[in-house]
Amino acid sequence: MAETLLVQPDTKFLREVIGSGGADLKKCYQCATCSVVCTLSTDEAPFPRRQMLAAQWGLKDRVLSDPAIWLCHNCGDCTTHCPRGARPGDVFGALRREAIKYFTWPRFLGRWVNNPQMLPLLVLVPLLLFGALWAWGPEADSVYPGRMEFANQFPIPVLEALFFSLSGFVLLSFAIGMTRFVRALRAGGATAPILANLPGTLAEIATHRRFADCGAERTRYWGHLLTLWGFVGLAAVGTIVGLGHMAGLVHTPLAATSPLKIFANLAAAGSLIGVAILVADRAGDPLKRTRSTYFDWFFLIVLAGVIVTGFASQFLRQGQVPGMYLVYYVHLVLIFLLLGYAPYSKLAHFCYRTVAMAAVRERREAIMLENRSKGS
Amino acid sequence: MVENGKPILVIGGGMAGMTAAIEAAEAGAHVVLVEKEASLGGRVARTNLYFPKLCPPGCGLEINFRRIKNNPRIEVLTLASVESLSGAPGDYEVRVKLAPRYVTSACTACGECARVCPAERSDEFNLGLSRTKAAYLPHAMAYPAYYVIDRAACPDGCTACQEACRYNAIELDQREEQRTYRASAVIAATGWSPYDATRIENLGYGRLKNVVTNVILERLAAPSGPTGGRILRPSDGKPPESVVFIQCAGSRDENHLPYCSAVCCAASLKQATYVRSLYPEARITIFYIDIRTPGRLEDFYRQAAAGGIELIKGKAAKIEEDAATGDLVVTAEDVMNGRRTAVRASLVVLATGIVPNTEGLPAGFARDEFRFAVNPPGLKGLYAAGCVRRPEEVSATVQDATAAALKALQCAGRSARHA
Repeated sequence: MAETLLVQPDTKFLREVIGSGGADLKKCYQCATCSVVCTLSTDEAPFPRRQMLAAQWGLKDRVLSDPAIWLCHNCGDCTTHCPRGARPGDVFGALRREAIKYFTWPRFLGRWVNNPQMLPLLVLVPLLLFGALWAWGPEADSVYPGRMEFANQFPIPVLEALFFSLSGFVLLSFAIGMTRFVRALRAGGATAPILANLPGTLAEIATHRRFADCGAERTRYWGHLLTLWGFVGLAAVGTIVGLGHMAGLVHTPLAATSPLKIFANLAAAGSLIGVAILVADRAGDPLKRTRSTYFDWFFLIVLAGVIVTGFASQFLRQGQVPGMYLVYYVHLVLIFLLLGYAPYSKLAHFCYRTVAMAAVRERREAIMLENRSKGS
Repeated sequence: MVENGKPILVIGGGMAGMTAAIEAAEAGAHVVLVEKEASLGGRVARTNLYFPKLCPPGCGLEINFRRIKNNPRIEVLTLASVESLSGAPGDYEVRVKLAPRYVTSACTACGECARVCPAERSDEFNLGLSRTKAAYLPHAMAYPAYYVIDRAACPDGCTACQEACRYNAIELDQREEQRTYRASAVIAATGWSPYDATRIENLGYGRLKNVVTNVILERLAAPSGPTGGRILRPSDGKPPESVVFIQCAGSRDENHLPYCSAVCCAASLKQATYVRSLYPEARITIFYIDIRTPGRLEDFYRQAAAGGIELIKGKAAKIEEDAATGDLVVTAEDVMNGRRTAVRASLVVLATGIVPNTEGLPAGFARDEFRFAVNPPGLKGLYAAGCVRRPEEVSATVQDATAAALKALQCAGRSARHA
């Protein structure tokens, strides 16, 4: 009782949460229905009731370093059962976005990427970059005489240099963000060994086991699973081709029958189906289970755009249609938006969620074992 | 003195309606009291004990029945409903439909008709928990104390009761009747109904046998109820070893009733107290969001809580049944320690809330966004009182009904002066 807690609400943080996604935060009256109906929440550390209170009080540090906000898979069960319409699921979505903005580096990019007013500027960067490359790159036919190939307008060595430096910057940004995040998790009491737990956590993510436990409808599970696996496949092919080309082992364009090409197309198709399911789920569910924000749409639309323009570029090139350069240009711009802004966009959730899950994994494992022995 | 030759018409013969009728009549007005059931008393007659005094409502009801009986200015219509209402303050025309009772005022409540009656029906006085004969007395202290015959339950052509009645009080060929009254003012005191708990899916009422509502517990606890007041649980008729009360079962919930039903906290504390005195060894737990016991009820809350009742802050949102025993596991987050907790219970009581009976109210009465009747400033002649107007305890209902009687008297007086 002698302990005194001085609550200093961060009102700017509150406005951010309420202003985008968490509009109903203050309606929460702490009945804790949400913590009971949530299938992912545990007896020892139930959520989201406690985080709703911390968020209402504007305890930014405390709530953003709470791993629980990443243990939620946004099925919306809490929101549909909430007696006050406080929409805890949506508040958690907003908190995850705020966490990314808070831990990332440099922070101003975190603010820009999540501010719709900055979108023109963010798009302008790759537009100018690739526009310059197109305008001042080598003459058409200079690399592949007599045939229209993307390398004629966008020389591969330049693209490689550009994307590898961009990737380097992105990795640095993630490294700093994760360092900050882990420090905050540790301070908040999440003590499990993260590196040692990574394999188990990744296996859990690969199979979407928690997603399956979540009360979400089956369609969303498949949508996310396909998107993830397709995306991983595409990223793998991109990296292999890039590195292989630099080493002189791979020559582009790959033949349509090359195993890498076939794999890439399959991955792209899977991802596209997944994204389509996720887009349809969000578009068809206005405010029932989950509210969709700019944060959600930016990522989903850019990802969908990358895949669609990728397919289109491929087909137009095969048909030697003159518009192919323009489509490829758009494709490159979108890839830049997806990759370059990854540490600040919703894409970053795969890093934060993985680390958070690993940081509390021992506790969760112990609880699951306990539950299993109770059940037997 | 206070009337223009037309009576005040009161719709509803529960505590609010009886009070309004008595107060107006004792001030000199004529009153027509319209009750849809076969006897007066409404929800209060179905109550086991009042809070905070923990006394049975019988004596209060009996006093009111006597005041009605002794007052020649009150005309009581049972099995009656208002069909239509028209007119203006001081001069309303009210059409009333009277369903046949098939028993006249010659009935002495000797019970011979019920003894010979071959048919049974669900007993709505006990909320369907027991059955009566098709010839029945609504309940032990029914007023008027006349039997009723439920013709829908009678076998074709049966006249056993008519033949058995020594007072020739049974008329099986009675027909529905329409009457038109002119009234100076109308008071709506149609009361409330418990919220339909089957709609709160996660709490399992209607699906899990040992989940009951607070109004059902009142009947299980009442000496006149289906278990003779022993509170036996529905699945196996055993006394409960542990009882869990779940507050705000529907109330304060946008998905059900957005408002606080005001009386359920004190009602559950009362019920927990009488369960405790009946079963001193039972574990009793109340899950709540906030305990709302305003005014002097705060003392009642303290006394009840001191009686070995466990109060856990956190809404119970999940109930699972152990199929073998019929026991229930109730889960909630204990907000005070931040952990999720599960309590095993042999009986779960849902504190279901108050839904105003405004569905059948005649046109002219105003309603708010929660469907409660309102008395807007300036609206004269039509007054709502009791739980149809707002969720309230019995004593507040009595005050509210007295106020409505005064308003109706003023309206009648004004129109008399102007006439």
